[in-house]
Amino acid sequence: MTAFVARRLLFAVALVFVVSSATLLLTRLAPGDVTAELGPFAAPAEVAAARARLGLDRGPVEQWALWIARVGRFDFGDSFLYNRPVRDLVGRATANTAILAVVALLAATAFGIPLGIVSGSRRGTAATVIRAVSLVCLSVPPLLTSLLLVFLAATTRWLPAGGMTSVDALDGRWSTWLADLATHLPLPALALALPIAATFERLQAQSMAEALQQPFVTAAAARGVAPREIVLRHAWRVSLRPICGVYGIAIGTLLSGSFVVEFVTAWPGLGRLMYEALRARDIYLVAGCAAMGGWVLAAGMMVGDLLLAAADPRLREQGRG
Amino acid sequence: MQTRLTRIGLILAGAGVLAALVVVFRFGSSGPSPAPELRRGGQIVASLRSEPRSFNRLVSRDYATEVVTLLTQGRLARINRATFELEPWLAEGWESSADGRTHTLRLRPGVTWSDGTPFTSADVLFSLQAVYDPKAQSVLTSTLVVGGQPIKAIAPDAQTVVLTYAAPSGPGLRLLDNLPILPKHKLEAALMSGSFAAAWNSTTPPAEIVGTGPFVLREYQPGQRLVLERNPRYWRRAADDGALPYLDRIVLEIVPEQNAELLRLQAGELDLTSSELRPEDYVPVREAEKQGRLRLIELGVGPDADAFWFCLKPEVKAKDPRFKYVQRPEFRKAISHAVDREAFAETVFLGAAVPVWGPITPGNLQWFWADVPRYPHNDQEAQSLLATLNLHDRDERDGETVVADLDGVEMRFTVLTQRGISWYERGTAVLRDELAKIGIVLDIVPLEVGALIQRLLACDYDAIYFRPMATDLDPAGNLDFWLSSGSAHFWNIGQKTPAADWERRIDTLMLEQAAALDPARRRQEFNLVQQIFAENLPALYFTAPRLYYAHSARLRGVVPSVQRPPVLWSADTLSVTN
Amino acid sequence: MRRAGLTLVTIVALVALGAPWLAPNPPGRSFPQSLYAPPTAVHLRGLRPFIYQQRLISRLERRFEDDVSRPVALHWFADGRLVSIPEGEGPLLLLGADALGRDIFSRLVYGARTSLALALAGTLGALVLGALVGGLAGYAGGLVDDLLSRITEFVLVLPAMYVALALRAALPLVLPPATVFVLLAAIFGLLGWPIVARGVRAIVASEREREYVMASHALGAGPWRMLLRHLLPSAAGYMAVQATLLLPAFILAEATLSYVGLGFPDTVPTWGTMLQSAANVSLLGQAPLMLAPAAPILLVVLGVNLSIQGRGRTPVQLEP
Repeated sequence: MTAFVARRLLFAVALVFVVSSATLLLTRLAPGDVTAELGPFAAPAEVAAARARLGLDRGPVEQWALWIARVGRFDFGDSFLYNRPVRDLVGRATANTAILAVVALLAATAFGIPLGIVSGSRRGTAATVIRAVSLVCLSVPPLLTSLLLVFLAATTRWLPAGGMTSVDALDGRWSTWLADLATHLPLPALALALPIAATFERLQAQSMAEALQQPFVTAAAARGVAPREIVLRHAWRVSLRPICGVYGIAIGTLLSGSFVVEFVTAWPGLGRLMYEALRARDIYLVAGCAAMGGWVLAAGMMVGDLLLAAADPRLREQGRG
Repeated sequence: MQTRLTRIGLILAGAGVLAALVVVFRFGSSGPSPAPELRRGGQIVASLRSEPRSFNRLVSRDYATEVVTLLTQGRLARINRATFELEPWLAEGWESSADGRTHTLRLRPGVTWSDGTPFTSADVLFSLQAVYDPKAQSVLTSTLVVGGQPIKAIAPDAQTVVLTYAAPSGPGLRLLDNLPILPKHKLEAALMSGSFAAAWNSTTPPAEIVGTGPFVLREYQPGQRLVLERNPRYWRRAADDGALPYLDRIVLEIVPEQNAELLRLQAGELDLTSSELRPEDYVPVREAEKQGRLRLIELGVGPDADAFWFCLKPEVKAKDPRFKYVQRPEFRKAISHAVDREAFAETVFLGAAVPVWGPITPGNLQWFWADVPRYPHNDQEAQSLLATLNLHDRDERDGETVVADLDGVEMRFTVLTQRGISWYERGTAVLRDELAKIGIVLDIVPLEVGALIQRLLACDYDAIYFRPMATDLDPAGNLDFWLSSGSAHFWNIGQKTPAADWERRIDTLMLEQAAALDPARRRQEFNLVQQIFAENLPALYFTAPRLYYAHSARLRGVVPSVQRPPVLWSADTLSVTN
Repeated sequence: MRRAGLTLVTIVALVALGAPWLAPNPPGRSFPQSLYAPPTAVHLRGLRPFIYQQRLISRLERRFEDDVSRPVALHWFADGRLVSIPEGEGPLLLLGADALGRDIFSRLVYGARTSLALALAGTLGALVLGALVGGLAGYAGGLVDDLLSRITEFVLVLPAMYVALALRAALPLVLPPATVFVLLAAIFGLLGWPIVARGVRAIVASEREREYVMASHALGAGPWRMLLRHLLPSAAGYMAVQATLLLPAFILAEATLSYVGLGFPDTVPTWGTMLQSAANVSLLGQAPLMLAPAAPILLVVLGVNLSIQGRGRTPVQLEP
């Protein structure tokens, strides 16, 4: 077990290192730099001072080496665009994205798994309807769903059409903040969750159908166990295995999908931050976002693997790593 | 199984009925309620496109900092953005010497900072000191020099300040509108220790930001909003001697995208947006106005027009065979003749624009001159002008005619513009079509603004179509555009000496009018400058847009201005009806 | 369902191929009098369809009116186009016009070409690269296999959108369309190869133990010959399935990148650049057809998902 965790941690550190260094160097080598934010007619002295502050007057390798040294002390540099430390910005944005991603994942699980059990364990109209809806949801990308939902929200004004919080929640109480968040979450979470829920549903249906064909199921039926019991108690646990495997990849999909959803619904998350940073070539902010993205990814994979081990005792025996 | 299905079906049907009921009641919206007299209190929500990089206006010139400073700080004298008159503000009145170089200002008595400390002349001296301190790296230094020298200030007593200019100045005390007065008791330590440039940055606790403005910064949620509350110690009183401001709170939401801003305005989540409407937003806002949720106002003609110019830097362009034609005024006059400005206004701004022939538009009320030489739309005139330069038609493949000279050098140019701005896209498309009729072929290349600026500064372009914003409506505040040595003289940046006689004349006239005290004389000289500019056309202007703006129907006391921010510049007189 | 899926995809592909013929107007042609114009209504007189010319009433308010005094008959098979209107009368805007007065329908069908071509190019790149790496890893085994597998896993794990974003933003943000095409195809190929490589490696590794492989090895066949003639073809079925999964993913990726402004410039008609105009959501109330590209995107992705249903494969959404 410890060997497994150690290997995963090593992988995580390697991932973060490679990803953030790569983006740092890429951004540095890209044409133009963030001082274009100062406008076309800024005084040359101002521009030069800004470049020096960002370390842009040194060579790329030297800048990278200095940055690595700072990262060792957990100092990720300052963002020129927002004029604050990268650590604060990235931390806050990641929390926002995490809220969105967790809610989306929970919603996808809550909808996808039960529906998959239903459609995988029986035939008839219910199963066909679920399957059809699932296919459609799979095919609609978060880009289109979020555009559509924002449009609906704007015209019907049932829900806020974007952002994460409203002005009305300013009196600072936890309950109002939560209630406010609850009105802003459905839009982006739904756009993000739909394809994932559909994937879960399809996977669950598939593996449930396969599990139901196993010999132990026929044996249980012969023993006279009720169908519902077979499905829920016996077949389901076996069918969970592929789902847990997918959970690990789902993190990557969530991050990818959250980018476009955050963009369209103006959710102040990591994807949006990274986009703005890349656009403006705000070098330390880009590297910080990439590092955080890598970290989240590695953590998600670790969680996925742990879930897999929990679901399938055989893996635990092998000491898989 | 049957019963399970019917159960599910019933639940779904019930949900459907419920949803239908909600829809019905939602869409039975109420009309606008009539607004009675003034109400005190309430809050408004305005939007900002980006976060303030600092709360210290002396070191940061971005728009968000400007807005926060307008709301929280005061100036000695303020230029009213609707009437363009200079108004006494923190200075109650002043006397100026005959030669216009010495001004004695009497400060308003009884003014205190928002934390209770009395406001005195020491604060004025401190602010000026910070502007000129080299370690502070203030961005306002260049706007507050007269005759190349800083303004000298002495304070004979706590309520009087004497300013001495090194040379006579045309704008005179209007320069004071650029200078927010900052509290000495809060920032002196930073200035002395050399860390003024980092003082009052965006991580400063709001309680430290002290000012004489109508509002005080209460909270800053990074990435989301700034919350400002009314300053109970605000010195200004209404006409009926009631306390100002009327509002209790202003919230500045940070909405980075204009589409999202508009959406929130229509949804009622915003009262004010940060900039004027785009022409394509007119229709949805009009719809909302009919339903009584918004009010659509015309701010006036915008003070800046889109400009089209060629790079006229001889050092870079001398080797370009087309340059010897481009640098001739006749070439540019031909282009000006070839463009039908009415059609331009129709297509590019959907009819909401007026034709202009120079950089000063009718929106700049005090400096616009209606008799600037015009170039009426006349393709034959344009072609004969080109013929005088020995440029004649040549038939090309694909039915496209290009004018070229006897050596076959074709008048084909690449025009750079900023991508993503719809009126630039339409403007360049119209230009391309109009100029194709006289044989000048344009190739439009939209670029990201960063890349555009880079190439502009390096003269790495044939022509650019862009709207450089003037910093000041008073031409004396825009000397870096008018003077040939100026850093914003965009068709030829960083010239050492005037390249032509007319440039020399403009230089002389501009320096004279910047130093003249008599307003009539300043106008006369500036009209002459505009004439010379229009005769030589280093840059071409076609139309200036009419600016439209929308705000929520609950706002009262709105005084619109063509400058940004259109409404918040006079936030202390704003009130709401509910 | 499988047939329905294949039909959908074939229809879209045919439309893309026949775009210059199907489109009534050139995709770049802007009609200055028709900004945000509504669709031109086609009326029938007997069996002959005709339209009324549209007149602009107010540009700012976007009001148009049909000039009922002048019916204009549709021309068939004229000018190399299926349906068109003679110059000066019209224009024929089957789905209306966009912000610059360009025909949405024509841009949609031309956009199908670019979007599909790019997706195909990316898929091809991913297949070739993935087959090479996977085949090499499966055949060589040992250290090479280990190394290549680690790299494959590593790249597989990265969030595709972030990587595409970073790679694209590292280059000049505005490039000529041909360059953008090659660039995006390269980026997609780089993002897609691990998915292919993993499966190919597994197949090649298991095929390697078969007798016919040992036989040809004994006969003196070199490793490359083995790979190309025997082992990789056995993975052809797998690669075909992967191709059908990658195609919609790349179409969506192009749409997303163009939507945020990092794909093709606005002058090139692709489904993504057309969706950019839909970013102004308040406009959608009056000009809902700005969302027109959503339909073909949905159809292609749905078609692909339907067509692989029959094989019992799970269509895992790998990229947004």
